Amino acid sequence: MVTTEEIEHVSKLMKIDVDNHAEYLEKVQTMINYFDILDSAGVESEEISMPEIPIEELRNDEYIPFGEKLIEKMNHYKGTYIHAPKMS
Amino acid sequence: MMNLKISALEFVEEVKNGNISVEDFIGKTLERINNIDDKLHAFLSINEDAIDQAKNIDKKIKSGENVGACFGMPISIKDNMCIKGSKTTCASKMLENFVAPYDATVISKLKKQDAIFIGKVNMDEFAMGLSTEFSAFGPSKNPWNTDYVPGGSSGGSAVSVSSFECVASLGSDTGGSVRNPASFCSTVGYKPTYGLISRYGLISYANSIEQIGPLTRTVKDAAFMLNLIAGVDPNDNTTVNNNNEDYLSGIDSGIEGKKIGIITDMIGDGIDPEVLTATKEAISKLEGLGATCEEVSLDMVKYSVAAYYTITATEAGSNLARYDNLRYGYDFPVEGYEFNSYISKARKNLGPEVTRRMIIGGFVPSAGHAGKYFLKAMKVKSKLTKEINEAFKKFDLLISPTVPVQPFKIGEKIDDPVSLFLIDINTVTANLTGKPAVSIPFKIVNGLPIGIQLMANSMDDKLLLQAAHALEQTVSLPEVSI
Repeated sequence: MVTTEEIEHVSKLMKIDVDNHAEYLEKVQTMINYFDILDSAGVESEEISMPEIPIEELRNDEYIPFGEKLIEKMNHYKGTYIHAPKMS
Repeated sequence: MMNLKISALEFVEEVKNGNISVEDFIGKTLERINNIDDKLHAFLSINEDAIDQAKNIDKKIKSGENVGACFGMPISIKDNMCIKGSKTTCASKMLENFVAPYDATVISKLKKQDAIFIGKVNMDEFAMGLSTEFSAFGPSKNPWNTDYVPGGSSGGSAVSVSSFECVASLGSDTGGSVRNPASFCSTVGYKPTYGLISRYGLISYANSIEQIGPLTRTVKDAAFMLNLIAGVDPNDNTTVNNNNEDYLSGIDSGIEGKKIGIITDMIGDGIDPEVLTATKEAISKLEGLGATCEEVSLDMVKYSVAAYYTITATEAGSNLARYDNLRYGYDFPVEGYEFNSYISKARKNLGPEVTRRMIIGGFVPSAGHAGKYFLKAMKVKSKLTKEINEAFKKFDLLISPTVPVQPFKIGEKIDDPVSLFLIDINTVTANLTGKPAVSIPFKIVNGLPIGIQLMANSMDDKLLLQAAHALEQTVSLPEVSI
């Protein structure tokens, strides 16, 4: 069982702030508590298999010009920079 | 009288033979959308240039120029795939005004084949949902009964195909998001082997398991679409070489002598009796066609939904971290805000389900919790893959109902997340294991559709389509009356 305090802490780290806190946290808690079923899967000794791609099969690591100035499409583009809020 | 109910292959033949003009067909399609989409809400935007594009293709046909294999076929596109110069909203307020600067690979491939993208269609926000109720722009409605959900997350795709607002559609399938709405709306929905279709230009939700797939009127149409969009893409390193397989040739081969496993874990607790009856009927029909059917158990299926939501939330938490409203997003000035509080406030424009999954995506892989949740989920994924690979040593195909229940009423389950989760139980296995799977329209009960799911081993997409076609030929279903 996870507590709403634990969830609230993580949501702050995720930079997520919601108005109706209790309702959100309760639903998230219900969802995470459902995941407790994984405890009975008996997979402790199981190895995690990951797909491997040989490096020679990857495309060359080289710059591919796009053709358009994508930076101009950014939300707060100011000609030579993107305007961001102040760091505290 | 223009017949908008024809299949993709019939459309191509009719245009090739000069029986219909592309302009007329596109015009009538737009007219139908205009007449009925207020009731269904399949579309989020319409291609204003569609008629001009149709005229150009008619001109090419008349002048004897080479014309692409689609011959101007109207295709709807789920609104999480980029079409250069068009809005790509992901059904989110966060991307409400985002105009894609490039084409997804599937889009550039279809453009080369002279497809016409008739419009972008509704979905659950960022593809997180299975009913299209989580679209920030309002739910789509099931054309069989507009009080009911059409499934999701590619709900707009399924609605547009089943209600004849287009000939075919592209959706994306992370845990059943093509097959679930296909089942709920009585269309074919195809989730290919992982890597068969490029994801370049698909807005990411859970990269390790999601795939683009076609929704069509017939299995042959799905094979036709797969021929056009499958294959290696240098922009997506997870794509696999299919050696230019022709999925349409030999589709009539039948399934005589094939061995089919009935996944018992997918027809147990919680299944609607009508769905169970339909599944048994499908099994009988396949046996009647010469296949041998036998029960098989995949023990990990009961943990698959928890594993799926843990893994996808983790990937979503990472993928959606880019929505800080600085690079793209909505109009919200930065003046007067501290960095973190600005991002927190900007993210209030994400809908409730996306917000919940982002929080979960931060929680389950976090220090102190990863061992209990994320790592266990990955281990379940590995074990499930082993189990299904073992099953495919004995069987050519696996069968189950696509969804254990029939479509439910709009709003009926929206406040019960776990009950919604469990609707995915039959579809997530194909995603977690990378296997191809298809939903075939099989029956209409109480005015609502039931689909049957077939699964095959990785890269056995051709065999899967042959089996799906064989099953499809055993049924004759009514059309929506809307």
